[in-house]
Amino acid sequence: MTLFEKIKALYPTLQDADFLDTIRLQNDSDGKGDYIAKWEHPTLPKPTDEQLA
Amino acid sequence: MSLVAISGNASGTGTLTIAAPNTNSNYTLNLPAAAGTVMVSGNMPAFSAYQSSAQTLSGGVATKITFTTEEFDTNSNYDTTTSRFTPTVAGYYQVNACVTFANATAAEQNRTQIYKNGAQAKIGNNATSTVNQGATSVVSALISMNGSTDYLEVYLFATGLGGTTPTNAIAGATYFQASMVRGA
Repeated sequence: MTLFEKIKALYPTLQDADFLDTIRLQNDSDGKGDYIAKWEHPTLPKPTDEQLA
Repeated sequence: MSLVAISGNASGTGTLTIAAPNTNSNYTLNLPAAAGTVMVSGNMPAFSAYQSSAQTLSGGVATKITFTTEEFDTNSNYDTTTSRFTPTVAGYYQVNACVTFANATAAEQNRTQIYKNGAQAKIGNNATSTVNQGATSVVSALISMNGSTDYLEVYLFATGLGGTTPTNAIAGATYFQASMVRGA
């Protein structure tokens, strides 16, 4: 399961548009994989490492 | 009467030569009544690079696109190992980027983005496709660069990707370009 899929499963109400605006998942193509570059959602808290494990 | 003064630089040892072309006609070069640096081909960086190895991208993620083959790089300011453009002349740059997918394995939306210094700066069109169709997203923007530390990269944000959709890694389909249009 990708990071995007984990977050969508955790917060099913999130829409794709949220990931262009208040949330940004990023991959710098440096071999380190996907990560949360920005989390500014007005109501949902940033997931913890435990929630995403 | 206004004057034209040519002054040397006490710190340098080189000789600046103003050379005439091979012509039998007379011409006048009119100088503007403005301050600034004369821009010539030698101090106006331009580059073009394209992707020669396809990438597979994850949905919902802004992924850095790699462009590892140069078509030209007039001032050696583009790095094929990092896919970064770091111009060494301050000014305003016209930047173009295009990312194309070959055949989508799921309905998807793609937005090509220009990142400046690691942060999103400009977003291109939202290109949509259905299964077994290609999609192309382009972005074009004018961006100010400081000529020392500022750098540009290209990312693509995709939704709906099944995880196996490759980019179309050919020179005419997935490319990154920039050219100085005026000095700072």
